[in-house]
Amino acid sequence: MSCRPVARFARGAFVLLVLVLPSRASAALGGTVATVDADRVHVQGALMRMVTTNGYALHEIRAATGTMVREYVNSSGTVFAVAWDGPWMPDLRQVLGDHFDQYQAAMRAPKVRAARGVVSITQPGLVVQMSGHARAFTGRAYLPTMLPQGVRLEAIR
Amino acid sequence: MLRTLAIPFMVVAVMSPECGSSSDSSTSAAVQNFQSITVNAGPNNDYFNGAFTSVTICAPGSVSSCQTISGVLVDTGSSGLRVLSSALTLSLPQQTTATGAPVVECGQFLDGVTWGPVATADLKLGGEQASSVPIQVIGGPNAPAIPSDCSSVGPPENTLADLGANGILGVGLFRQDCGGACITTGAGNPGFYYACPSSGCVVTAQSLTRQLQNPVWMFPTDNNGVLIQLPALPAGGALTSTGMMIFGIGTQSDNALGSAKVLTVDGSGSLPTTFGSQTYSGTFIDSGSNGIFFLDSFTTGIPLCPDTADFYCPATLQSLSATIRGVNGTASAVTFNVGNVDNLNGNFSAFNEVAGPNAGTFDWGLSFFFGRTVFTAIEGQATPGGTGPYFAF
Repeated sequence: MSCRPVARFARGAFVLLVLVLPSRASAALGGTVATVDADRVHVQGALMRMVTTNGYALHEIRAATGTMVREYVNSSGTVFAVAWDGPWMPDLRQVLGDHFDQYQAAMRAPKVRAARGVVSITQPGLVVQMSGHARAFTGRAYLPTMLPQGVRLEAIR
Repeated sequence: MLRTLAIPFMVVAVMSPECGSSSDSSTSAAVQNFQSITVNAGPNNDYFNGAFTSVTICAPGSVSSCQTISGVLVDTGSSGLRVLSSALTLSLPQQTTATGAPVVECGQFLDGVTWGPVATADLKLGGEQASSVPIQVIGGPNAPAIPSDCSSVGPPENTLADLGANGILGVGLFRQDCGGACITTGAGNPGFYYACPSSGCVVTAQSLTRQLQNPVWMFPTDNNGVLIQLPALPAGGALTSTGMMIFGIGTQSDNALGSAKVLTVDGSGSLPTTFGSQTYSGTFIDSGSNGIFFLDSFTTGIPLCPDTADFYCPATLQSLSATIRGVNGTASAVTFNVGNVDNLNGNFSAFNEVAGPNAGTFDWGLSFFFGRTVFTAIEGQATPGGTGPYFAF
């Protein structure tokens, strides 16, 4: 399934992009496919693979810290989901992009009873789910209205 | 209650040669290796399913300059002691770099960060003492402005209102809170430790010994792990619940593994859980999580609460079973309850049926601990059940 020649070509193309993008470009979730590489640059990571399936492309980036970040791009070039796992939390401001403030606001919203130890945010425009403990963190965030038809949520992880 | 219990333990330890740490058999009677923990609403009166305890903190080497801080969350999912600056009246020496800059930590948790200086203290838990332990003092006037690389990990949890606790006592699987990655320089460093001269904070390489330490492995004895014991609860929970935190595994008469099964974990402290016909990786046991968080509504068939995606709200109490499997292949079948969180007594703080979604995996949080003795063995530490890290129950 993995399109290695494509990935190699893409890496070459990204080198050009790096030259024109500031390293702190507006970031992944909800951003354009170009912000995927801004993420890669920000975490000083490597593009491990790029897989194109029906309806979306998956870019997998290994941050220098070892945490894997996967970004899901729909056919119109928008990052509709991100997922991560690894020993350390990712830079959420980077991977959630313009949705980071919404995430923070949701985390601060008062609740009668709040889960401690997991994060489950379900809002009309944003879903964020996180789990983990010291040395192992997983999570995903997606934009429900931008999910390509037929994409199963189990595929986003 | 502690005193009356302590006497028989000490007598037994003196009388039976197998009691007490075998490697320390030349030392005198065993120390009191336990203290009580309480599941209640915590110091901010808003917590549920959190286990709290007290920690006595002393200036290094001092027997008089000490303070006991209550309302500290017992967390087997992290390592190291962190206390709120607002709860600390004691003056402690702050850790500095070789060039004299204060060392400040960005403690990274799933739901946010703790930001504040690293200080050094002697810690007393039960009759155990850990000397010159790096701890974090969260927030307060000595904490510089939080760098954006730290706040990018999550919202700061630097106040009593944020944490719901006066501190976090990390007694988890690992010796340090970060470990080898924080020794490195460059982009591979996950950014826990900062040097903060007046010019601003930058990530700094931090040796293992200068990182926050799991206090248990720094005890002279009973230093290979910790047991959490909480009583069984009735359906519907209880106002509060009181149990024990016992230090050491197989070192005294009160901390033998007995019939507990040892389930080893992978390098990240996780192990698989089988539920139905599926096996899920990356699952873990964590007293610092306030419920059993597992899978999703679609998979379990259990509805979420109408008002919150945090918890399940089945019409009736569900009794479920799963198998937690060690990396060593040892399997342990467990049953657990899923109740309707919206229907819980709002005055109660202790429940075994609090559960919620956690797509694709299991977090066996505090609900799991009631009615069990859960052992957490520390990495690299020898026990009668093998070398840590592992969980046993």
